[in-house]
Amino acid sequence: MNMIAREVETQMSKGGEGAGIVISGRGVGKTFANGAVVALEGASFDIPKGDFVSLVGPSGCGKSTLLRMVAGLIERTAGTLTVHGEPVKGPRRDVGLMFQKATLLDWRTSLENVLLPTEMVRKPTKADEEEAIELLNMVGLKDFVFSFPSQLSGGMQQRVALARLLKTGADILLLDEPFGALDEFTRERLNIELMRIVAEVKATTLFVTHNIGEAIFLADKVMVMTPRPGRLAKMVEVPFARPRPAELQLTPEFNALVAEVRDILGTH
Amino acid sequence: MRDTGFGAIYWTVRIAPHLVIFAALLTLWEVAVAQGWITSIMIPRPSKIGAAIANLYVIKGTIWEHFFITLGEAVFGFLIGAVVAILLALFSSLSERFERYVSPYAVVLNVTPGIALTPLIIAWFGYGMGSKIALAAVICFFPIFVNTLTGLRQMDPDREELFRSLGASNRQVFFKARVPAALPLMFAGMKIGLTTALIGAVVAEFAQATAGVGVLMARASFALDMAGSLAALLSMTLMGLLLFYGMELLDDRVVFWRREARMSAVSRARAKAWKARRGQRDEKNNMGGETK
Amino acid sequence: MTPEGARLKWRRRGNHAAIFLGLMALWQTGSWTGFLDPLFFPAPLDILASFWRIYVTQGNIWYHLYVSLGLVLAGFTMGSILGVGLGAVVGMNATVRRFLQPYVIVLEATPRIAVAPLLIAALGFGPQSKIAIIMLVCFFAPFINTLSGVLNVNRDRMELMRSLGASKMQVLRKLVLPDAIPVIMAGERLAMTSALSGVLVAEFIQRDQGIGALILTYTRNLNMASAFACILTLTAIGFLIFKGMEMVDHHVAYWKNEAGLKRMTEKRARAFAARRGGLAHA
Repeated sequence: MNMIAREVETQMSKGGEGAGIVISGRGVGKTFANGAVVALEGASFDIPKGDFVSLVGPSGCGKSTLLRMVAGLIERTAGTLTVHGEPVKGPRRDVGLMFQKATLLDWRTSLENVLLPTEMVRKPTKADEEEAIELLNMVGLKDFVFSFPSQLSGGMQQRVALARLLKTGADILLLDEPFGALDEFTRERLNIELMRIVAEVKATTLFVTHNIGEAIFLADKVMVMTPRPGRLAKMVEVPFARPRPAELQLTPEFNALVAEVRDILGTH
Repeated sequence: MRDTGFGAIYWTVRIAPHLVIFAALLTLWEVAVAQGWITSIMIPRPSKIGAAIANLYVIKGTIWEHFFITLGEAVFGFLIGAVVAILLALFSSLSERFERYVSPYAVVLNVTPGIALTPLIIAWFGYGMGSKIALAAVICFFPIFVNTLTGLRQMDPDREELFRSLGASNRQVFFKARVPAALPLMFAGMKIGLTTALIGAVVAEFAQATAGVGVLMARASFALDMAGSLAALLSMTLMGLLLFYGMELLDDRVVFWRREARMSAVSRARAKAWKARRGQRDEKNNMGGETK
Repeated sequence: MTPEGARLKWRRRGNHAAIFLGLMALWQTGSWTGFLDPLFFPAPLDILASFWRIYVTQGNIWYHLYVSLGLVLAGFTMGSILGVGLGAVVGMNATVRRFLQPYVIVLEATPRIAVAPLLIAALGFGPQSKIAIIMLVCFFAPFINTLSGVLNVNRDRMELMRSLGASKMQVLRKLVLPDAIPVIMAGERLAMTSALSGVLVAEFIQRDQGIGALILTYTRNLNMASAFACILTLTAIGFLIFKGMEMVDHHVAYWKNEAGLKRMTEKRARAFAARRGGLAHA
């Protein structure tokens, strides 16, 4: 308990929007059913610009809830939460989302699906179309620009969703187990691609997963969360340099970190 | 057990606003006709409709005979159509060859508007109830047939594999797996069929009949007795509701695993039956003087 | 399809045709020998003769078909458009929906075609009451289906639109309406079949003109062969309507069928290439 309190204090002293912090939370909490269900209790954290932060924990630890609150999709019942210095009131155009379900529109081609966010703001121009096609190329769907979702595999649909996310030009990316429904090999490949893209675009990323190895491999910092009630137990720094080769996951340093996180989770 | 007191209050609260609005509409309508805002003789006053209903149902009670005649026509027509449809669907699902020979004729029957056969059927079966039952049967055949066949054709590969691994014969697979799985669709088809059968009965009555609610409505309409005509129409609505909810009830009982409440009830009933059987067995053991 | 497969298909068709012709031969023989009552089983050759007469020599069926189908088209168009429009409006408006719910349930239980005599009495004999009947019959399925389509929008997609900051109008145009198209089409197909039944019932009661009246007249005169010919005409029309609506459905709700997907992919790619003048991708 002491360790957690100390951790939180350190975070809070580091905090404040001035230090290049893009997402900041103090005592963020969420209850459902009039307080009967406590999904998340008192989470406090600061996320600096350009960081890739994983949220990891077993089911019921509140990681998805926290992500959705940052996204502005659900309202918090306690605490303060700011994005770019402004309190979160609802979805924002500079925050991009990606979930486990690709949620593409069946009647639109890949190109049209990628252009959907743009259409919310203006009529897509030629430049927009070019950019969308570039993004589809980048995620490896060069030959499927005019295909429809039902003609694509699950992995391909997620890649379209990724391209759509990148089209928003959002500098904050929130992903909730985006590759969870895919097989191991596809997932690994897409994770590496994700890291590369995120570094290129210089986005601040929050990534929810229940896989400890994945959480550590992808991130600069790992928010370890425990269930019953959902709580941010500790923010663990991941010291490995980028770019990270897949073999990193076999090194003893990496596995020591995995053990540390497992330990934190295990004490609950 | 839920407290019935609470249930009654809950339902009253939910229905009350609808009743109030309905009463308000009726009053507005009545006033509009009485004051002469609506002058067409085609739109009768609600009070006259009410009087017609009271007349038909209570005072003279003329409608009861007709009501049950039409209801009977619909139900018997449905039964005949359903039995034939289900049997044909069963055989079609069992034998691919049978299906291949039957399906072109079924398709022809489907595309032909069944109503077109009305004069023919009346010529064949006469002016009595027979023709109404026949038309109802013909019209309701196809929805039941196609739904039952689709239901029986549904193949869950995992389930098939399970049964094979247990060494089940074809017949066992059919009756223990395919048929129960087909029930929801079959009932969906029957619900459509029942409504369609009622339409068949009523239309046949329009064309030629001496008794039935359709006849009442036709007669009232031609006598320009709009109130009576609407009263007859409302009777048909009542019939439709009865038939539909009757089928819903049957559906709920037979396909019990589709609704939570019913499923729990069956679960409890089976538990109780089991306990009763065990109690009897224990008793038998005890009486036999055996020690446990 | 493999050559063996094609040959099997044709052999099966041959079988069907053979069985059909065999039945017809039996039937014809039965009629000739007086074994089959001509009331129930008019001889196939007589039916063919009737076809010839009503289509060619006398040619009286054309006028009646023109009348009936014209009414069907008019009534269907007006009724189903009204149904879709109101369905969309009610679907988007929660209070209206709650208020209308009991009336919709009652309307659903009533056989709508049964209102025919009432409408004829109210609006008088003639095409106007026939169109009214058809409109009423064609209204319901599109209304219910549109209502359902608008209400049952996929929740994940709603969340997606919300997360993109879409306005209500944008959600309606870009999500709700396209999403509802398949169900609305299904409703329209049902309406089309109801329309045909509707005009027939109206003509049975009015007995003036149209193919329903024709069938009635022939049956009354015990000219069963001609009655059969008319009914088979309706079968053909019914089949054409079925196939026609299926084609429209596949075209409008293109993303629900293989062929439609392929067609649209090519179409969009070509359109894009045209816009760019050659800078296109696959």
